[in-house]
Amino acid sequence: MVEEDRESSKREDEGRQKGKFIVERDYIEPSRIVEPSSLTAEGVDISGRWGTIVLPRTIHEFDTSIYERVKRLPGGSHIANCWQCGNCSAICPVAHEHPEFNPRYLIHIVKMGYTSEIERLKDSVYLCSGCGLCSSVCPRGVDPQHVMIALSLAFHAKGGS
Amino acid sequence: MSSIDSVLIVGGGPAGLRAAVDLAEMGFSVVLVERRAELGGAPIRWKYHTLAPDMRPTEEVMSPLIDACKSNQRVRVYTSSVVSSFSGSLGEFSVEVKGADGSSSTHRVGAIIVATGFEHFDARVDPRYAYGRAPDVIGINELEGMLRTGKITRHDGSTPKRIGFVFCVGSRDRSTNPWCCTVCCGVSIKQAIELRRLLPDSQIYMIYMDIRTWGLWEKLYWDSMEKYGINYIRGRVGEVYFTGEKLLVKGEDTLVRGPIEVLFDMLVLAVGMEPGEGTRQAARVFGLSLNEYGFLKPRQPNIHFDSGVDGVFLAGACVAPMSIEEALEEGSAAAMQAAKLLMRRSKQKVPPYG
Repeated sequence: MVEEDRESSKREDEGRQKGKFIVERDYIEPSRIVEPSSLTAEGVDISGRWGTIVLPRTIHEFDTSIYERVKRLPGGSHIANCWQCGNCSAICPVAHEHPEFNPRYLIHIVKMGYTSEIERLKDSVYLCSGCGLCSSVCPRGVDPQHVMIALSLAFHAKGGS
Repeated sequence: MSSIDSVLIVGGGPAGLRAAVDLAEMGFSVVLVERRAELGGAPIRWKYHTLAPDMRPTEEVMSPLIDACKSNQRVRVYTSSVVSSFSGSLGEFSVEVKGADGSSSTHRVGAIIVATGFEHFDARVDPRYAYGRAPDVIGINELEGMLRTGKITRHDGSTPKRIGFVFCVGSRDRSTNPWCCTVCCGVSIKQAIELRRLLPDSQIYMIYMDIRTWGLWEKLYWDSMEKYGINYIRGRVGEVYFTGEKLLVKGEDTLVRGPIEVLFDMLVLAVGMEPGEGTRQAARVFGLSLNEYGFLKPRQPNIHFDSGVDGVFLAGACVAPMSIEEALEEGSAAAMQAAKLLMRRSKQKVPPYG
């Protein structure tokens, strides 16, 4: 537990360090700030502050590749039924403790193919305890408990490891 | 035939036709006045392919009514005509019908049914959707005609792959019309299902504020996701650009609180319903009240047929936005009220039949 706390505070420190010279830095999540260790443009070295890139929040494409994979997995076969009511997240005991774990939201970003959000949150799927309360209250038979398993498989395959 | 056996019906759409057929079949004579050249109202004028929620061909619903009005000798049909004047008292009205060709006729009627319908919202009024400026931005009314031909094509003749529907265009917005048109969710979803059947490789995204598929129409919504894999984005579109090739749709997905700028091949606008010129003209002639939105205002908000003018009844989408199934029922309801009035004033207890 202590070990884990140390890990997470280390990550937070790194996040705070990134782009610290940016005015109104708090409005930008660390994951969108890219600081290449070295960068040259047309032969000129622009490493350091000049090379800092802030990735836009705007979603430019619906990448349905993970969605298609999830639909074919046994647990994900009813994911298309989801209408984002949020019954699953409302009853989820894990979501009440971990704000980054939200089954409704995970299903949505996968269905829409928002790759940067998936990248940011894909590890949160392992927080699922598999209690099955979500599936017992889902009005559309999405079975979020097993969708979470399908998501973890699909994310894993996506990573190629 | 005495005047008290006649009913004037203004408007030859679903409500007016249903009322005319019901009254004629009960033995009353009907003067049916339609402003446009053709009977059938919006479903025929816009060539609706099928009707929600069961995707029944429009002709199956409308043709029997149109044919019955044309063939029944008790119904006199005046197309391209309007009612220009109205006088008399309850049960003994005198009305003048003027045709676009300059013709004019006077009729004595015992009751009047106003069923002047609605107009589709003109999306050029709200410039953010680029309707009328960019190609491949069409209204749900225009998509019906395209579905009827079975050929869904873009401006350059190609087949669209990614199609977006924008809900609530010209509805639920103070800058255009603040009311909900009640049917465009269901109609859009019905069309999305038809598009997926025609174009199985297409991706369809419904961009909505709320889904209002009331009552049994909810099945359309469920089927669209469960059987047809249609996607829903909760949010609004702020701007549409034509890049020269595709439509760049800028908006927000409110479920991720994120802006989106995605290219679409075709954008379908779920345009709302609003009162038309026919309704305003009828209100002027018959001295009917309009509500704050310009629809005809019944005496009681929950009893549509009672216009507040004795002997004048209301039916259909001139009172409030509604589906065709509701308009047909309102036509029948108004016919019943007119029949009740005529029978009460008649010495006969049973109307003449045969």
